[in-house]
Amino acid sequence: MSVVEEIQALRTETMDAIAGAADSDALNNIRIKVVGKSGTLTAYLRSMGQIPADQRAEVGKTVNAARNEIEEALESKKAELKTAELEASMEAGAVDITLPGRVQQMGTRHLITRITEEVAEIFLGIGYSVAHGPEVETDFYNFEALNAPADHPSRSMQDTFYVVDRSGGHRAVKGESDVLLRTQTSGVQVHVMEEQKPPIYIIAPGKVYRRDVADPSHLPQFNQIEGLVVDKGITFGDLKGTLEYFCKEMFGPDRKTRFRAHYFPFTEPSAEVDVSCGICHGEGCRFCKGTGWLEILGCGMVDPNVLVACGIDPEEYSGFAFGVGVERVACLKYNVPDLRMLLEGDMRFLRQF
Amino acid sequence: MKVSLKWLNQYVETPSDLKEFCDRLDLTGTGVEGVEKLGAAYDKVVTGQIVSKEKHPDSDHMWVTRVNVGQQNVDENGNPEPLQIVCGAQNFNEGDHVVVAMIGAVLPGNFKIKKSKLRGIASMGMNCSARELGMGNDHEGIMILPEDAPIGMPFADYAQLGDTVLDLEITPNRPDCLSMVGMAREVGAMYGKDYASPLKAMVEKLELDSSATPVDEEVKITIEDPTRCPRYTARVIKGVKIGPSPDWMVERLAAIGQRSINNIVDVTNYILFLFGQPLHAFDLNKIKNDEGVAHIVVRAAQEGETLTTLDGEERTLTSDMTVISTPEAGAIALAGVMGGLDSEVTEETTDILIEAATFEAGRTSRTSRNLGLISESSMRYERGVDDHDIDARSAAAVALMVEVAGGTVSAASSNDAGIVDEYPLPTAAPDLQFRIPRFCGMMGADIPRDFIVDSLTRLGCQVSETDDADVLRVVSPTYRPDLEREIDLYEEVLRLYGMDRIESTLPGGRGRIGTRSALEHLRDKINATMQSCGLNETMTYSFAETDELEKLRMNTEDMADAVELINPMNAEQAVMRRSIIPGLLRSVAYNQSHGVANIQLYELGNVFFAHEGKQKPKEKEKLAGVMAGAMTAPAWNNAPAGFDFFDGKGVIESLVRELALPKVRFKVADPAQYSHLQPGRAAEVYSGGSLLGWVGEIHPLAVNAYDAEAPVVAFELDVEVLGKACRPARDYVDVPTYPAVSIDVAFVVDEEVTHEMLMQRMQSAGGKLLESAHLFDVYRDEERLGAGKKSMAYALSYRAADRTLTSEEVDKQHERLVKKVCAATGAEIRG
Repeated sequence: MSVVEEIQALRTETMDAIAGAADSDALNNIRIKVVGKSGTLTAYLRSMGQIPADQRAEVGKTVNAARNEIEEALESKKAELKTAELEASMEAGAVDITLPGRVQQMGTRHLITRITEEVAEIFLGIGYSVAHGPEVETDFYNFEALNAPADHPSRSMQDTFYVVDRSGGHRAVKGESDVLLRTQTSGVQVHVMEEQKPPIYIIAPGKVYRRDVADPSHLPQFNQIEGLVVDKGITFGDLKGTLEYFCKEMFGPDRKTRFRAHYFPFTEPSAEVDVSCGICHGEGCRFCKGTGWLEILGCGMVDPNVLVACGIDPEEYSGFAFGVGVERVACLKYNVPDLRMLLEGDMRFLRQF
Repeated sequence: MKVSLKWLNQYVETPSDLKEFCDRLDLTGTGVEGVEKLGAAYDKVVTGQIVSKEKHPDSDHMWVTRVNVGQQNVDENGNPEPLQIVCGAQNFNEGDHVVVAMIGAVLPGNFKIKKSKLRGIASMGMNCSARELGMGNDHEGIMILPEDAPIGMPFADYAQLGDTVLDLEITPNRPDCLSMVGMAREVGAMYGKDYASPLKAMVEKLELDSSATPVDEEVKITIEDPTRCPRYTARVIKGVKIGPSPDWMVERLAAIGQRSINNIVDVTNYILFLFGQPLHAFDLNKIKNDEGVAHIVVRAAQEGETLTTLDGEERTLTSDMTVISTPEAGAIALAGVMGGLDSEVTEETTDILIEAATFEAGRTSRTSRNLGLISESSMRYERGVDDHDIDARSAAAVALMVEVAGGTVSAASSNDAGIVDEYPLPTAAPDLQFRIPRFCGMMGADIPRDFIVDSLTRLGCQVSETDDADVLRVVSPTYRPDLEREIDLYEEVLRLYGMDRIESTLPGGRGRIGTRSALEHLRDKINATMQSCGLNETMTYSFAETDELEKLRMNTEDMADAVELINPMNAEQAVMRRSIIPGLLRSVAYNQSHGVANIQLYELGNVFFAHEGKQKPKEKEKLAGVMAGAMTAPAWNNAPAGFDFFDGKGVIESLVRELALPKVRFKVADPAQYSHLQPGRAAEVYSGGSLLGWVGEIHPLAVNAYDAEAPVVAFELDVEVLGKACRPARDYVDVPTYPAVSIDVAFVVDEEVTHEMLMQRMQSAGGKLLESAHLFDVYRDEERLGAGKKSMAYALSYRAADRTLTSEEVDKQHERLVKKVCAATGAEIRG
């Protein structure tokens, strides 16, 4: 066999080996064995000197051609194997994607604060700011300045928690005091009007307290959001429009509202607002006790006595005020069956929201 | 207040559509809290008229009739045609008005009316006889009604058999509505209809006996303080016979839930509910003196004076209370609230004195609250009883008493009305103006002048024109103490006009900007941080048990007093909380006892502190949290460790980052001062010099005291202090452009050497080049490190902001650091 034939044979053998290489390692071994520093093909190049001169050109040409061909084949096989190996490793790495993910537990907000913030956002959007007041109030801010002086029958509408007066004050009725847990957030109205000149557009969320035994529909401690507007030319229509807007934002655009005349000492005219029942859409069902309506808030035009008590001229300014029960909204929107759940801290309840 | 519609309809016509009536009451300010139907029988029994009468094809005595029942007409196929009824009676003709029991009616004797076929002809009901209706024995034929009987009216309404009783919510400003006549006036105003008070007719029945001792000689009245009692009247009836009341009065009172006592007491109740005038009947002979004169003195009670009231209770009185008294017997009644037992009308009583008066509202209210005595009388007096026309209401009362109990009313010598009437302080009717343009402007609607005048007039106001066409003069009635200002009249007109008719608008005010305060932004950040730390917001009671901090083992020595409630609901809620932790611990116990092991809760809320001499307590907002169990249940790829001190500390460190709190230090909490925390696992948190609060594991004994399972990690921080310390804006720092050199080093130190000590040493020795030192391992091994030793491994990062550091520079700095730390802490380098 001539040298050229030997080389041709080596080429053919190597090309077959490359084609049959099972993985990158086998391919690498072929590369080292054939075209490496001491590879079989390389050996021909090195021993070129021993080749008779007249054959040298042909042998050299054959070796180079074989080398190029082999290296090309090595490259392309390498790429092919890499793809295959990647495919294989990915196949092996497949997971059951229905297994649960790696979750960082996010905490939750309490339903009441969630609703409070929702309400605050609605009113922030129409230019209201948020105000706050103390939970332990004096009789003056909770009643007197709100046009419900001592012995006013409207006080019997709310059973009040009285607090020991550490300034030594005494009241005409046994068991009562000038210091109390606020029964309504309306006292914030007075604080705001004392500190701020109109125009006033505020809401004031907060805890309030009344002597009700805790049961599924009552709590001695609950939350209200007070609203107050005092400006020039404020009308009852403005009050209606504002609260209708609120109810639609809060409960949905298809809900209707109705205003029922009512009595609150600090507003006149006063009204209670009902929103149409979301379950029966006003037809009357068990949820709305057959009326088709659900009571949602109290409101009215600010009584001139309240404005005067706060140093605002009722001939120049008028205003409206409203109070929303947050727990009431929670019941209506989320069907919370028992208000006491709101104060138990049951994780299974809290983590629903 | 309960209102019988049958009774009310005597004075005003109410709508036949009950739902419409209730809605109108609701919308105009009289809430309907309940509707009770009395005598609910005769459902589906209506009045009708015979349209046609034909012989039954298969019977010699039955008729096939077609009966018009108006709205209820329905044929077999559901069309609104007169009812086809097969009838066996012979006593009727076409055009007769009859009573029809429709399908579904149940007649007396549980006789159910069903759809049926009589000899092949369908029958949609029955024409009733009187006996079938349970109204007598007439069974000769069906009941024929007069020609003017309406068609399709429920028979119970037609025959006025049933009654509907409304339970109405009368708001405290409307004492006038606490009576039938007042409600009749209100309903009249609601519908623009006239109402008729029976007062005049009742007064006209009064006959006086001039042969008896004149009432003004037998009864003397002295009012010591007219503000306590603006008017007091007395009348005398002699020779009454106490006995049962007539059926009609029993029925009236029963309908509104009042039990009949006897004829005299019943009349006082009847008049109270009819006119809103409380009355009191004394047994005249029990209050007369030896000269045969009853000298009524209305005066302040003496401090400590006692009176046994009608309910048998002996009451100790104060000078704030007003009594009806005689000089001889002392107090005989508690003015406006309750009569005395000794002067009570009994079965033996023959001569009675009828008191009709009015008393000061506020004082009556205080008296009834102080004694816990709320009566129908006190409820009306504290809202205001009109002093005008008391004489007429009293005349109506005694006339009715004579009618039902016999006897004669004594005439008077000084007047022809048979009354003793002390009236020192008449109430003046408010004389108001009503500016129509202002009213319309404030309501945002053009409400017609005629409507305004008509509404106010129907409510009892005298409305007249003034020189100014835009202004009306309105004198409001004295029975409406709530109508004392112009705005009060606005409310009346608006509610009768209908709030639903006012067009909705939004305020057009200029310069209105909604903003959120710094405190709210702070709360937002706190809430967001707590949530991202996996904590769930909760709310607990602001109330607390008196000794709950002692139970928590919390040191209260330097703490201000708890705010005490005068009238708590129960002992568990006797004071206001001074810490949120007890409430949260109760929630931990609640969860644990309900099988929830992993608990992460936080609350933002107020705590309260009382100070001697200060009327109002100090309220502080706190952020508190508790963690028990672990963050999550073990998962296939995650085994969360149980909570310990460092979870609590981690939450606070997150907060420190989010609020950019400067110079934060955790200091070992003194076990004596923080006795509610487990010693060695408790820290005070400072930002600069300000104490933010504490974090630690609650003392196991304290956890047990709350029936919870330890460990419970907790923290409580002061929100105001957080707000003062936090930096709302942060400074920009260049992102590094030159590479850092990282070197790990492990110091073997005594247990006493803290991380904080090592950090301080490294920071001072590392100079400017030491960028950070991150603790990545703490390792203890008695054999390899020795007893009482630990290895603290830090990854140090050296970097310069302006150049790439050379290895010589770093080595030099690092060697210096190691040397200094070792020298200062006794550390050795672990190889």
